[in-house]
Amino acid sequence: MQREKNANLEKEGKVRRVLIVDDSVSMRQMVGYTLRQGGYEVIEAEHGADALDKLTGATVDLIITDLNMPVMDGITLIQNVRSQPAMKTKPILMLTTEGLAAKKEQGKAAGATGWLIKPFDPEKLLQTVAKVLP
Amino acid sequence: MDAELARYLPHLSRMSAQLKQTSSQIESSVVGVCDSFQGIAERARSTVSRTTGFLSSEGNRTSSKQSFESLIQNCADTLVKILNTTEEAGEVSRRAIERIDQMDQASQMIGAALLKLEQIAHENKMLAMNARIEAAHAGIHGAGFAVVAVEVVSQTERAQEVTAQVSGLIANLRALAGSTLEDLRRTNEQDSKRVEKSRHEVDDSLRDMQDAHGEMEQMLTVMTEEGALLANDIGAAVRGLQFQDRISQQIAHVVEDLDTLHTKLTARFGGMNAGDAVSNEGFSEYTMHEERQVAGIGGTESAAGDVELF
Repeated sequence: MQREKNANLEKEGKVRRVLIVDDSVSMRQMVGYTLRQGGYEVIEAEHGADALDKLTGATVDLIITDLNMPVMDGITLIQNVRSQPAMKTKPILMLTTEGLAAKKEQGKAAGATGWLIKPFDPEKLLQTVAKVLP
Repeated sequence: MDAELARYLPHLSRMSAQLKQTSSQIESSVVGVCDSFQGIAERARSTVSRTTGFLSSEGNRTSSKQSFESLIQNCADTLVKILNTTEEAGEVSRRAIERIDQMDQASQMIGAALLKLEQIAHENKMLAMNARIEAAHAGIHGAGFAVVAVEVVSQTERAQEVTAQVSGLIANLRALAGSTLEDLRRTNEQDSKRVEKSRHEVDDSLRDMQDAHGEMEQMLTVMTEEGALLANDIGAAVRGLQFQDRISQQIAHVVEDLDTLHTKLTARFGGMNAGDAVSNEGFSEYTMHEERQVAGIGGTESAAGDVELF
């Protein structure tokens, strides 16, 4: 359903683009695979700083980021993104193995839109993305 | 005791390196599997999409080629047009038969009228003959009347000649009309039978084509369902493969602890390091190529996938 919707948007030249931020190549690959199956376009970044670099050159509709990463972690990335006026309402999902309530609160306070625990279910991930990107 | 511990000090950094290498290898494998999934899914989707495009006009809007469905429809339309044209020709032929029939009936009526004219002419001749007889009886007074009677006989004979010619022409005309009618009726009957037979054949062929199309659509439905199942299976596999990320993190934590331990032990026992030759003892049981590489032991050896026949 969502795939058809995205395919129609693609025909109109309005493809939905998602930035995946994770230091694990395989996780980026798996999240990327799942999103491409859902009809989304995908950009990848290795860590928070790399993600900020990518954001200066491209417009994205959603950011999915890991929490613990070298160079710049997920929370710092969210804080940086939210400090930009144009990105105040941009949906950001945290995808991490971290499930502690305190960490979640920290993410929420930084401006995360949602929190997903790894390992993720591809179908649930697509449903969540569809919810934050109607 | 300290000296014994110091002997194992180099092992810590090797163990750390081995764990990192293991983690990296698992990740490479998972990335490879994911790449394959991407290819499988793309090919499955592409196959279904192309088959859909071939079968239905819905999926073939952008293609200049006709879909199978529209081909069947065009074929059916063309065949129906041909049959209708043939039927129209048969109808024209039937109308021509009717008109020729009507013309024949009119010719018959003309023939009957000519017969009546022949009778009238005959009666006129009899009348003229009687007039001549009466004129002869009247003598000189009937001479003029006799001339008129002769002229009437003469005119009547000319009229009989013309009537006979027209009768002959009508007879020829009727003979021609009769043979033409016969030809047209025979051709029309044969055409009707051929058209009827062709219609049945066309109906059968179209039904077969529609059946084949229906079967292909069913196959497409099955393929689409299989594709959805395949996507689910890959989804489950993707979920399963994420064990690598957890293991990778756990290994990273172990490596971090080992490195810390190594740093602390080096600070304490560094001066008592017994050297590589002694420390390699702990690796004597290792058999894997990668492990020997990390440990820096062993000589030249074959890599994975190499084949050697003796």
